Amino acid sequence: MKRPAVATPTSEWAERSVDLARLLGRAGLGDRAAFATLYERTSAHLFAVVLRINRDRAQAEDILQEVYVNVWRAAKSFDAAQSQPLTWLTSIARNRAIDSLRRGQARPQIQTTSGSDSSADAEDESVYDTVADSAPGPLDLLSRASEARALAACMDQLSAQQRQGLALAFYQGLSHAEVAEQMREPLGTVKSWVRRALLTLKDCLQGAVQRDAIVDGGS
Amino acid sequence: MDYGRPELAERLAAAYAAGTLRGPARRRFDALLPAHPALRDAVRAWNERLMPLTVALVPVAPPARVWQRIETRLDGSAAAATRTAPAARPALGSRLAFWRGLAGFASIAALSLAVLLASPVPVQPPIIVVLSSTPPAGGSAAPATASFVASISGDGRALVTRPLVNVGVQPDRSLELWAIPPGGAPRSLGVISASGATVVHKRQALEGADTLAVTLEPPGGSPSGNPTGPVLYAGKLTL
Repeated sequence: MKRPAVATPTSEWAERSVDLARLLGRAGLGDRAAFATLYERTSAHLFAVVLRINRDRAQAEDILQEVYVNVWRAAKSFDAAQSQPLTWLTSIARNRAIDSLRRGQARPQIQTTSGSDSSADAEDESVYDTVADSAPGPLDLLSRASEARALAACMDQLSAQQRQGLALAFYQGLSHAEVAEQMREPLGTVKSWVRRALLTLKDCLQGAVQRDAIVDGGS
Repeated sequence: MDYGRPELAERLAAAYAAGTLRGPARRRFDALLPAHPALRDAVRAWNERLMPLTVALVPVAPPARVWQRIETRLDGSAAAATRTAPAARPALGSRLAFWRGLAGFASIAALSLAVLLASPVPVQPPIIVVLSSTPPAGGSAAPATASFVASISGDGRALVTRPLVNVGVQPDRSLELWAIPPGGAPRSLGVISASGATVVHKRQALEGADTLAVTLEPPGGSPSGNPTGPVLYAGKLTL
């Protein structure tokens, strides 16, 4: 398993949090300059998050605008003791993007892949191969994100189908039905893959957080 | 459906965060969130678990017009709120301006109190700061209630805060006092009592500050050293 020695995405996530929490705190007090800095530092990430789910660029821009107007309004209720700022911002962006889909203005564009008919018992390799596009596919993204050390170990515990189901649902904003269509599997099966993937991740991460806390404490 | 059942709450929260809860079920869940702290906690925990997955996304810089439109929206809502009825959306852009106005009012009160208290003996009268309630984000019509009084000893060594009214704070929250220099970052003066007097010994933090503010924070105060909660009370410090 890969364990990069340099800063991992999750540690980066946590490091950026300190600065962002300060900026959010000041934005909550009405500081527009702090809010502008917050936008500079986070908008490219949130735009990527939104675009993944709603590929219509004009709509994605509108969503991003709504997201930040919302962030400005809600900044004073942000509680750094409860949430990481980037988590908070990302979840606002995701929710807005998902909401934009339910209005039926745009369906998520399913990334067409050459091997999307991979059977349920496909090897891990071939599942990754289904992403033929030059843009990173959901599974690529999942494997990159899982370089974060806790997630890496936990992702290994998922089956190929669980991983693919979760990746499609999470990154592409697909519903269970759409994931089922994409994976050409029965809806019930896909639902249970995604659910089990989530439960496995939860249990695994809970253990990993404690282990990492010990490792980090020593370094 | 009984959303109080922990397993169900957990399952729905997971599906909500993962994005698979859709349509009417998602809308129902959205509507339930404000009133169900347990659901909110479950969603928050799932967001913390899943959102880091988005680090894998390659950032895409939005075009400059997005920020311009955001600024226009914020300026627009601030301007509109000062012109229109207070029932309109909170005047967010003008919160700071509002706060300064409020602090101006407070300083008049501070002066008169200082005179009253000064008359008996001391050479250097204590400075009294009245902290008034800040209405939720700019509802400027509601009269601000004088809620806390902070007195700084004449020699500047100690600051004592005392609530003037019955200040209700949830048991799992603390009030934190901040000294704010003009245009600078808030400096913590520590957690203060909602029910009785609190003596603060942090004279350095007061230097150069012109405003005192009280925010709502997690128990024991802000973990980051910066305010994280809403500003409940504020007052102008005139030295």
